[in-house]
Amino acid sequence: MKKRVTLTFPRQTVQMPIAYILAKDFNVAANIIRAQVAPSHTGKIVLELSGDIDELDASLDWMRSRDIQVSLANQEIVVDENTCVHCGLCTGVCPTEALTLDPQTFRLNFARSRCIVCEQCIPTCPVDAISTNL
Amino acid sequence: MRTIADINDKIAAGKATVWTIGEAKARIAELGVSQAAKQVDVITTGTFEPMESSGAIINLGHTDPPIKIRQCWLDEVLAYSGFGAVDLYLGAAQMSDEPEVERGGGHVIADLVAGKSVSLRAVGQGTDCYPRTAFETTISKETINQFYLFNPRNLYQNFIVGVNGGNRPLYTYLGPLQPGLGNAVYSNPGALSPLLNDPDLRLVGIGSRIWLGGAEGYVTWEGTQHFPLQKRLPNGTPIGPAATLALVGDAKQMDARWVRGCYFRGYGPSLMLGIGVPLPVLDEAVLEKCAVRDEDLVAPVMDFSIPRRVRPTFGLVSYAQLKAGKIKIDGRVVRVAPLASAYLAGEVAIALKQKIEVGEFLLTEPVAALPSDRTLLPQNTWNSGLSLE
Repeated sequence: MKKRVTLTFPRQTVQMPIAYILAKDFNVAANIIRAQVAPSHTGKIVLELSGDIDELDASLDWMRSRDIQVSLANQEIVVDENTCVHCGLCTGVCPTEALTLDPQTFRLNFARSRCIVCEQCIPTCPVDAISTNL
Repeated sequence: MRTIADINDKIAAGKATVWTIGEAKARIAELGVSQAAKQVDVITTGTFEPMESSGAIINLGHTDPPIKIRQCWLDEVLAYSGFGAVDLYLGAAQMSDEPEVERGGGHVIADLVAGKSVSLRAVGQGTDCYPRTAFETTISKETINQFYLFNPRNLYQNFIVGVNGGNRPLYTYLGPLQPGLGNAVYSNPGALSPLLNDPDLRLVGIGSRIWLGGAEGYVTWEGTQHFPLQKRLPNGTPIGPAATLALVGDAKQMDARWVRGCYFRGYGPSLMLGIGVPLPVLDEAVLEKCAVRDEDLVAPVMDFSIPRRVRPTFGLVSYAQLKAGKIKIDGRVVRVAPLASAYLAGEVAIALKQKIEVGEFLLTEPVAALPSDRTLLPQNTWNSGLSLE
């Protein structure tokens, strides 16, 4: 099975070769979706883990025992209302039509429940109004 | 029926009736052209879209000892300086020289309009008049003499629709175009667009006062690539890019809400501008033109996968189809997204209407008409002996 997790590393754990240990000790493949890691800073990383369900759970327990914060809450797309110009360019690349223009007001409408966080809208936005909450 | 002087008298007395173009279309549909023409004096139109053929003239003021600037960067964006000693022209589409930075002239212009400080680095040619050869400082709109937009090509009368018939993603001035006709992008607000409501340029000419980025501005000349001879529908509107205008306006008076830097990944920076144009209701003919609807306006669908001057076209689609969000190309349904902000185009028309209603914006007679006979010349390598055509 697959699980998307957000990990927060305390400073002292940043050096740990986490993807290697997940693969070697738990047979879990870790696909890095997004990462913000630097030496001697708190690190954040979003992983898509795939493997056997029991081994996945064991790997999450092991990470928690090493003071790594494991969050199963998914990251979300955030549209900055103050920056958005409601041009609508993002609506053309949004595969689930979570981003649409209101047919009456022509303002951008974001239906969070439909969003699959594919992030195609982020580089498409010409005024840099769209980001993830990571 | 009315002259511009009559209308200005009413504006000055606070008695002018002003409708936005959206209101005007609704009232014309309800009352008919004749009745509506009796009631209204001015119609306000607006648009808000990227206009990369824009830029700012800046005069810095002289340093001591003085410098004749020959190279200059504002926040690491190169500005043109090959004229008066401390005169600069900052183009909206100039990329930042900092690697990996998705910023350009449009962002620097927007920052200055917003009152922010901008770093300046200049290299001079040492002469007897101007001995200094280097200068670094920080400027804001308060610390420079002139800061005005001088835009060679704005307010396109109609534009194109971009699609990608190839097999790899394309990064264009219309944003990303997905392969295999994955999406389509159009960038004109259609029936709201200023010049599509004055298709013959009867009301707008050289010297016309307009609303540029929240301040007063003027039409200074025909825009570059002005092409009034574009093929037209029986209603007078062009079937593709046609007339353009060169505009000028005081950037010190502009509002950051209407002047926004933007960046198209893989293409470059640009400037999004809000521009409003008032149309005086001189007679019923003005309103007949303003009645034009999205279903009466068309744009050509162009395939960007062929990187040539003349791109293959998939034919014409109406703005009603475009705004519905889907068009059919070769029997396939293609999703459509706009690039001009219909919401902010409407807000521009409202802002201009309010200025006119409180008597702060008077209309002008054009000083001269815009040319109606310009052709669009291609640039070919004459006599090269090698033909790519």
